[in-house]
Order: sequence, then C-alpha cells, then structure tokens
Amino acid sequence: MPGRLAAFIMLAGLCGTAQAQSSLEYTVKAAYLARFAPFINWPADAFAGPNAPLNICVLGPDPFGADLDKAVAGQKDGDHPLAVRRMETLLPETICQILFIHDAILADEALEALGSRPVMTVTDSGMRAHGIISFIVIDNHVRFDIDDDAARRVGLSISSKLLTLAHAVRHRGGR
Amino acid sequence: MNERRFSLPILAALAAACLLLATGILMARYEDRLYADQQVKNINEQAHILAASVAGAVAFDDLRAAQEYVNALKVNPELLVAGVYNGRDRRIAGFSRGGRAIPARPGITASGHGHIDVAVPVTQNGARLGAVFLSAAAEPAQRRIARYIGLVLLVTMGALVIAVLAFSQSALSRRADQLSRVNLRLQAEMGERARTEEALRQAHKMEAVGQLSGGIAHDFNNLIMIAKGNLRLLRKRLDPAAGQQFQYVAATEEALDRAAHLTQRILAFSRRQPLMPEPVRLSGLVSDIGALLRHSVGETVELETRLDAQWWTRCDINQMENVILNLAINARDAMPDGGRLTIATRDLRLNDAPAGLAEFSPGDYVALSLRDTGVGMSEEVRSRAVDPFFTTKPLGKGTGLGLSMTFGFVRQSGGYLVIESAPGKGSEITIYMPRTEEPA
Repeated sequence: MPGRLAAFIMLAGLCGTAQAQSSLEYTVKAAYLARFAPFINWPADAFAGPNAPLNICVLGPDPFGADLDKAVAGQKDGDHPLAVRRMETLLPETICQILFIHDAILADEALEALGSRPVMTVTDSGMRAHGIISFIVIDNHVRFDIDDDAARRVGLSISSKLLTLAHAVRHRGGR
Repeated sequence: MNERRFSLPILAALAAACLLLATGILMARYEDRLYADQQVKNINEQAHILAASVAGAVAFDDLRAAQEYVNALKVNPELLVAGVYNGRDRRIAGFSRGGRAIPARPGITASGHGHIDVAVPVTQNGARLGAVFLSAAAEPAQRRIARYIGLVLLVTMGALVIAVLAFSQSALSRRADQLSRVNLRLQAEMGERARTEEALRQAHKMEAVGQLSGGIAHDFNNLIMIAKGNLRLLRKRLDPAAGQQFQYVAATEEALDRAAHLTQRILAFSRRQPLMPEPVRLSGLVSDIGALLRHSVGETVELETRLDAQWWTRCDINQMENVILNLAINARDAMPDGGRLTIATRDLRLNDAPAGLAEFSPGDYVALSLRDTGVGMSEEVRSRAVDPFFTTKPLGKGTGLGLSMTFGFVRQSGGYLVIESAPGKGSEITIYMPRTEEPA
C-alpha cells in the first residue's frame, strides 16, 4: 500500500474539456493543501503564539482562486486556525507554516532563501525544483512526493499516515 | 400444630426457590447488559482504531487504502457493517455482511434489535476529516440461549437442593414429634408403674405388720387365757365374805376381757382370727342391723340405705356386722355437725381393678359402700388409714385398729377394701366381696 496512491478526482468522469480538467486539478490540490497541516508537526517557535494562525502562504501566481479559501475556511490544526496568505515576495519577517509555490523560478529562489526555517514547502507539479512536498499528476490523478530528509533538516516531522499515502518518499538519512 | 410444623420448612423452601429464581433472572439480565456494554465498548474501540488508521486515506480520498484498512476488520466475524466517510460525509470505503446495507451516511441507522451501531469521527490533530461507521451483531442467539440454559440448570439444581433440605427437615420434625409423643407415653407408664409399686409396697407392709402383730397377739391371747383361768380358780376359793377381794378380782377380769378383745382385733387385722364364713346376702345383713345402725349414728345423721345387691357372698356374719357398725360409727365421728350416711349394696361384674387397688382378680363382686358427707381425709391420712394404731381421733378415744381390723377381715374373706376421700368432700369406703353360689 505505501506509495500505491490514487487520489481520485470525484467528478473526473463528468468533465470533458481540458479546461475543466485543469480547474478540477487545482480544486483537489487546494483541498490537499488544507489537509496536510494535521499530519505535520511544527516546532513551537514556528508560530507567533499558541493560538496564532497556521498560515498557508501562496508565493507568486495563485492557481487556486477561491478554492483554497473555501478549503481552509473554518478549519483548524489543533489550536491554530488555518489562514491563507498570498504574497509576491518572501520577506524574512513573514511567518508561513506551509508555503505553496506555483512558479518554477520563484521556487528556486524561495527554497534557497528559506534555508533551515521550519516551513513546509509545497511545490506544484511540472517543475524541476522540489519542496518538501511536491505535487505530481499521474493518469489525471493528483498525487505527491515527500522529501522526509528535507523535513528533518528544517525541524518538521511528518506523520507516517501521510508518508504511506505519498507516491514516493525520500526517507530520512538521505536514502 | 403438626400441620403447621410441617408446612413451615416447605414455605421457607418455596420462598428460597423464588428468591433463587428472581436472582437468576436478575443475573441473566445483568449479564445481558454487561455483555452489551462490553460489546459497545469493544466496537467503539475498533471504530477508534479504524478512524485513526484511516485518517490519511480519508484526508486525501485514497479509496484503495481506505478499503484495505476496512477489509482488515473482516477478521472479526461479529462486525456486520463497516463504512468510511470523507469530510463531506460521502462514503469512500466499506463492507457489509449478513444482508445489511452500508448506510449512505454515518450514524444514520439507529441501533436496533440485534446489532450495535457505532459512528466515530476521523480526526487528525483536532481537525475533523471524516467519519467511520461500524455495526456489530449483538450477542448471537445460541450463545445467549446457552447461557440461559446454564442459568436455568443452576437454578433448578439450587431449587432441588432446597427441596431435599426442606423435605428432610420436615421428616426430621415429624420424627421428633413421634419421639416426643412416645416419650410422653413412656413417662405416663413410668408414673403408673411407680404408683402400682407404691401400692404393692403398702400391701406388703400391711402383710408384714399383720404377721408380726398377729404372732404377738396370739401368744398374748394365750397368756391372757391362762391369767383368766387362774383368776377363775382364785374366785372359787375366795372367802365369800371378803367383798373387797371379789372387787379386785372382778376389776382384773374386766381388764383381761378388754385385753382379750384387743388381741382379737389385732388377730382380725392380721387375718389370724378364727372365722366362720357362711353364705350371706349383704343387703339382708344391712337390713337386719338397720335398727342398730340407726341407733349408733345418732339423731344428727340421716341414714339412707340403697340395697340393690341380690348376689350371695361368703363371710363371717358376726364380723361383717361388726365391720359395718364400726364403719358407721367412724362416719358419724366424721360428721360432728350432722350429715347424711348412705349405705349401698350392688352387684358388679368387674374386669378391671377399681381405682386404688394394686392386686385384683376380675370377676363378680358384691359391693358394699358407706358414704358420708363428713370432713373427709387428706391424701396422707387416706393412704395410712388402714395402718394399725393410726388414728386421727383424740388420745384415748380410738385404738387405731378399727379400719385395720376391717381391712384384715375383708382380705381374709377374699374381698377388697377401697377408701375414697378428699378434704371437705366426705369419704366413701367400699368393700368388694366375691360372689358365691346361692345356697341350695
């Protein structure tokens, strides 16, 4: 079962056009982005306070539109309410727990800039650079790879429940 | 009494059996409840485990993974339905057995008869991701029946034990009852025996006293006869002129006569007096001395005679007359303020001894009774009344030989003497004389 993942796109059969397909892809990705949080454990100093929001930041172009806001609305991870922040550039004082990057160039820069900050980086499918989690699309199904070694380096721990659902996992120790 | 003593243990046994049955039913209900609670807890735990393990699959709509988790639960045969639902309560995995359908939404079916439904939310770090639903069969019917049969067996055995105990208890009390009745009878018989022995001892005592005093009286009588004979010779040779000397002799003769009379009475008591028995009808005898009797009892005592006896008996007529007179005078003395003396005779066929007699031969008897309305006798006096020299009369008024002599005479004549009396109730003295053939 590990790695044998098939994110099922509910309405796939009903959607005929590539445009619709593409819009559905990001609806699923938005939902996933909102659901990663419960499976990830951040160090306490990653948050501004015990009840501070858990920020899901979207750097650069936003492919989700309202989908991400809908997926996040009313959701909480422990005591932290989920919030969406959109930004053009990554400032050092900006607090992000999850950072989604759609643009390949921005991704290279951002991953470089973040260094060892405890941020769960998520990169979109179809780019060279990889965050800790990177979406991939296989047979019209949205799936994701996880670099658990990178997570360890920035002080994040990822639930095994999530790891077992990943398409591929780069395990701790750099294997 | 016996009925109650018998039914008490039965009642107790019934109550105990009822109690046992009630306890059994309560225990069965309690076990049912306990089992159901345990089952709910059990299913709840499994639901929580499923919810925790299926969280990732639910979060990322991984149907295959979810189904694999759910399939793992099939090893529990009691689980009939399992369902996994995503955040929008849509079913993404599940299975069902035994003709049950997987509900479209979690927890919609109410827990009904025969199954236990549990719905648990799937959460990860406080975020609700979906839900799982499990439904398990309630306790299988045959297991329940087996438990009830076991219980029924236990209750039956208990009731049986109680019944046996109650039965043996009642049998025991019945046995104790019989035993106490037998014991009472034994005590009564022992008392009767003691009284008989006492009467026999009294009879033997009288016999011994009679023999002793009779022997003395006999020798004494001979001495008196010698003295009297010599006195008679002396009188012949006395000078007729010496009147003073005659007087001395006369006084001595008189004293000797009285002494002879006394020895006669002692001999009568000891049954050694010479008797001349002849056939007689006691009714006639009493009639013959009627005038004498009336004279003896005096004017203050009313004399009544009921002479119903027709049979003949044999006795010394003179002695019998003496006895009747003696008894009549005793009765008079018992009624200083007057009263009634009833002399009665009647014919009796006796199979059993009259009260107060230890030795008795069944047969036909002529009974002669003298009943007075006098002061009566205490039991102590009555029991000693025939003892020689026992008297209640003032010193010098009686010799204490009247009843002793009567007793001796009656026994010597083959009859019996019975004294019945109580203080203030008067006395009745009855003489039973054996019947004889009417003389030709």
